[in-house]
Amino acid sequence: MSVETFVTDKAGLITFYEAIMASHETYAPVEKFGKFDFKQVKSLAECDPESPIAKTQSIKPLFFPRSAKVMKYVATSTGTEVSEVDEDPLAVKRVILGAKHCDARALQVLDKVYNWDYIDTDYQKRRENTVIISTRCDKADTHCFCTSLDYDVENLNAMDVLVVHGSDGKVYIKARTEKGSTLLNTEVTRHASRVTEEAAAPDLKKQYEAFAGSFRLKMDYSEVNSKLSKIFDTPEFENVSGNCVSCNTCAFVCPTCHCFKISDEKIKDTGLRYKSYDSCNNGYFTLMAGGHNPRPAKYRRWRQRAMHKFVYYKERFGENLCVGCGKCTIACPVNISIFEVVNQVAVGSRQ
Amino acid sequence: MNYTKQIQDIAAKLFTEGKIDVFVGYRMNGFDDNQVPVLITDPQDVSKLVFTDKSVFNLVNYLKTDHTRRKRVGLVVKGCDSRSLNLMLTESQVKRENLYVVGICCEGIVDDSGHKMQNCVECVVPDAVVSDELLGTPSGQKPYMVNVDIAALAAKPLTERTAYFEEVFENCIRCNACRHSCPLCYCAKCCIDQETATLYNGANTTSAAFHALMTWSLHLAGRCVDCRNCEKACPSHLPLHLLHKQNESVIYENFQEHLAGVIPEDRGAFYKYSLKDPDDFIM
Repeated sequence: MSVETFVTDKAGLITFYEAIMASHETYAPVEKFGKFDFKQVKSLAECDPESPIAKTQSIKPLFFPRSAKVMKYVATSTGTEVSEVDEDPLAVKRVILGAKHCDARALQVLDKVYNWDYIDTDYQKRRENTVIISTRCDKADTHCFCTSLDYDVENLNAMDVLVVHGSDGKVYIKARTEKGSTLLNTEVTRHASRVTEEAAAPDLKKQYEAFAGSFRLKMDYSEVNSKLSKIFDTPEFENVSGNCVSCNTCAFVCPTCHCFKISDEKIKDTGLRYKSYDSCNNGYFTLMAGGHNPRPAKYRRWRQRAMHKFVYYKERFGENLCVGCGKCTIACPVNISIFEVVNQVAVGSRQ
Repeated sequence: MNYTKQIQDIAAKLFTEGKIDVFVGYRMNGFDDNQVPVLITDPQDVSKLVFTDKSVFNLVNYLKTDHTRRKRVGLVVKGCDSRSLNLMLTESQVKRENLYVVGICCEGIVDDSGHKMQNCVECVVPDAVVSDELLGTPSGQKPYMVNVDIAALAAKPLTERTAYFEEVFENCIRCNACRHSCPLCYCAKCCIDQETATLYNGANTTSAAFHALMTWSLHLAGRCVDCRNCEKACPSHLPLHLLHKQNESVIYENFQEHLAGVIPEDRGAFYKYSLKDPDDFIM
């Protein structure tokens, strides 16, 4: 695939975004109560594709909804009739603006589990029908640590179109996949000029180096993976989980967590079944029929979360179930940092 | 307001005398001037303890976790925290003899923008009402004020208020962090976690969010102490205090100026009968 790069300025980027909004179903960060969440938008005035990373929810709910209708049922005198839900929200082609690199990467990580044992067709369809436009951050936030993890942030190909703010107000728009290339060829050519990759490379490199140099948190995670796998029984997990209040919000905002629960909404003889988010930090998460709970203590649930992210998923799929976005730390009411905790348990450096 | 030294000394003394197994306090988060709660079991770690006007989280929440259950606990409480502790004691959730309470005469907590938090501006009981040791100078009970946001909302027409709250419930992601971070939500099995309940099914729909949050707010009516742990936990930054402050002001007006957890052994507006209770709404 030929990589296509275009260059324009800030005004050109805005007209590019507006052209997309006019011709596609578009999702972008919309501010409500000081927090940005991805919602369908009609104009650039409603949203902010450059929303600050610390205040933006992930794009995961657009692929794995917070609550998805699974089926509906009707109890009749002859038995129960089960049927598909009527709506098919996945049929339309859509574009996401202002996705962060970490969010886009999270989908690559999730693809592995969704294409594994059972193929989730709804997820697949949403993935195929979506074009992701991602802007590279100019500066890392307090809790960001994406460059410490096992993926190449600079040459990430998880998004379909990459937008980079270069020097002197230049904006580079780069196709990363066939889908992105098709979108650019229909939308961007009117507002931007084509440049060769070689011409754009020095400026892109410079922007990345400035971004990579702005990280507060840095660690070598390959070391973490091997160390964590050997210390399942360390009492350190009990210490680090001490101030966790088991509120579960970390899992709900995490772009890679994918556990869910099934619940029914019943009205008289009819019912609607939902698949909604759940968290392994929930006390009842592993509770079985009959009352046995294999993870009754908080530290065991905590350990499960850390081990699943950095050991089990890595062993099975070769990747960390963490993209270093820091959303869990920002959302945590007591600011438990997964970076700090893993550092403390695996490397042994304590605050 | 800085009681770092005093709290470190008290904790060290308690560990030396063998009076406690764990001390719950605050430590610096290690990179900026904000603090995080810390549970100290090793006497050597007491030097980590701090207390300033950034010590925001209500630590009474930790009395319901694995790390403190059936243990002797040292605890730092501000005015609002002590009220929730009072309720925990009244409702038989913790044993007083297992606790060593360091009460603070609080001068108000400062948020990230450097301003005093709104609940501290409107605070009625800044001094700890339960304590074994009181730090600071008591400033006494302040006059009750109706919350500014409640007053502003009350001035708006009903349609506008409905639209506002619809937006609140739409933006709820049903993570239940508000409930878990609330010190007074201690039920082992919460009614909104029932798998088969029609109203509170786990789905992230506006109606389920509405029922869950309204039930939560009504269970805390006459009990909420306005510590705002729930708002700190909410990943969608929802103004959850509105749900509680409205109840609080109605109860204050109608039930002999009742304030949650101020008087020890006071069971609260909904749990006791008084001849002075209004009955004009009962047929």
